[in-house]
Amino acid sequence: MPIFEKSSESSVTRAIISQFAKDMDGFADTDVIVIGGGPSGLMAARDLALKKVRVLVVERNNYLGGGFWIGGFLMNTITVRAPAQKILDELGVKYKMYEKGLHMTPGPLACSKLISAACEAGVSILNMVSFDDVVLREKNRVAGTVVNWTPVGALPRNITCVDPVALESKLVIDATGHDAMVVRKLEERGLIKIPGFGAMWIEKSEDAVVEHTGFCHPGLIVTGMAVSTTFGLPRMGPTFGSMLLSGRRGADVAYKYLKGKK
Amino acid sequence: MSPTSTSRARSKELLAVEVFLPENQEIKNLRSIKPFVGSIFPTVKVELRPSIGELIEDEQMEAIASSLASARVKDPTRAEQDYEPMYGELDYERRVLEGEARAGGILYNGRILEDIFSKILKPKVERASIVLTDRLVSTFSRDDLRHHLRTIVCGFPSIVSLPGIVEAPAKPREYYLMKQKMEIQGAGELQIEQLKSSFKGRFLDYGDPRTIEVVKGLLFQAVMFHLTLEPFCEKRGCRLFNAHWQEDLIQSQITSAKLCKDHTRQLKALCSHPLIAW
Repeated sequence: MPIFEKSSESSVTRAIISQFAKDMDGFADTDVIVIGGGPSGLMAARDLALKKVRVLVVERNNYLGGGFWIGGFLMNTITVRAPAQKILDELGVKYKMYEKGLHMTPGPLACSKLISAACEAGVSILNMVSFDDVVLREKNRVAGTVVNWTPVGALPRNITCVDPVALESKLVIDATGHDAMVVRKLEERGLIKIPGFGAMWIEKSEDAVVEHTGFCHPGLIVTGMAVSTTFGLPRMGPTFGSMLLSGRRGADVAYKYLKGKK
Repeated sequence: MSPTSTSRARSKELLAVEVFLPENQEIKNLRSIKPFVGSIFPTVKVELRPSIGELIEDEQMEAIASSLASARVKDPTRAEQDYEPMYGELDYERRVLEGEARAGGILYNGRILEDIFSKILKPKVERASIVLTDRLVSTFSRDDLRHHLRTIVCGFPSIVSLPGIVEAPAKPREYYLMKQKMEIQGAGELQIEQLKSSFKGRFLDYGDPRTIEVVKGLLFQAVMFHLTLEPFCEKRGCRLFNAHWQEDLIQSQITSAKLCKDHTRQLKALCSHPLIAW
């Protein structure tokens, strides 16, 4: 007796297409689009989805999680400073205390739990899709994004002459890390001028990243390392705790805005 | 004595030291600064005042937030920073002033901050106003044409930067060399913490209980500036030494914690009769 039930190739194809078409129909107009599926983006998306906000994460890679899989020096222990370990508790991630205020956990465990928590909260995900441009409305408010398949950008233009599609949203969150891709697109259009990284090394700059998380332009919120680039904050090392807390703050700011709009 | 000469004499005497407390108040035993200053200048009234943000009227809030956002130093190699504050920067400064966000991690031009604080506090000559802040401050040096972080910016009011105590005086040279090497190798927080612990005691880090002693020494420097316009001493063991290295800061403010002979003599003359000599 065969292990698996019978199913035709055409059924498999139809299942994929029909579900994807249904999903894309919903993505065309949503509450929040998060560009970048690293720790701050996933955290923001998960918190918003838990509050019944419709969220779409656009991730250019096949995999989610960004740099959260691995710690410093290609070693996969990641560290989290207090009070961010409370988020690990919420996600069900086991960790050990290295010293007072500093906790450590395997990167693959923390990252997979965060991805799982975001998906279970109801976050929609478009992976292998790259941010291309912003949708602008009255007074240059950001009101969505233009996206395309990632492989399209990886091949010569004469081979992949594929137009992107636009997705509308009430808010966009730039969680693209140091690149701050959405903010840079506004800069290209002359709508914003960003200073880039601060040249000075200041030990305690991760607080500034969390505290600056919020709107940087009407309709656009920045989280994670994109905050550093956008506001020219001092350089900082890898601090995943601040990425998680920045994501949470970004979700709070977005939720308050959406609630106020209703 | 004529009434005019009496009022002139009174206006030259330091009557009060008012210390505006920081926004976050994370330093342990911060209120011990009051008896400390009082013990040095027994005739001077010492007042601890709320943080600057609490003194701002609602209608001033937007303008002051905008001034603060414009006081940021984004390029340390330029004396003046010429840029329009961003939407998010204004929002951040307003939130800090209203107590909804914490100050920290941003570098501000100390001279511009002094102007902003001066407009809010309107300092008087007979009162030494000193602002303790959680903001990082810098001043531009004409020697090497770049901004440098400061622990104190003497002025009217004087500004003492609490994170500046950790960030401004340089740590031992070997620390930076090792840190740079580790960062090139992609070291994370754990390795940086291990590096810090290998230099334990040679610099102050956040949360160090000894920090309050440094705050007291900086307040002392600010009061001396108010009295004489000369806040610093060149001797490494004197509490008025302007330390540029953490090890010197620890030596002058914690290990020695005394004045040199010259300043001991000067203080003896000043403490019972703190006349403003400018």
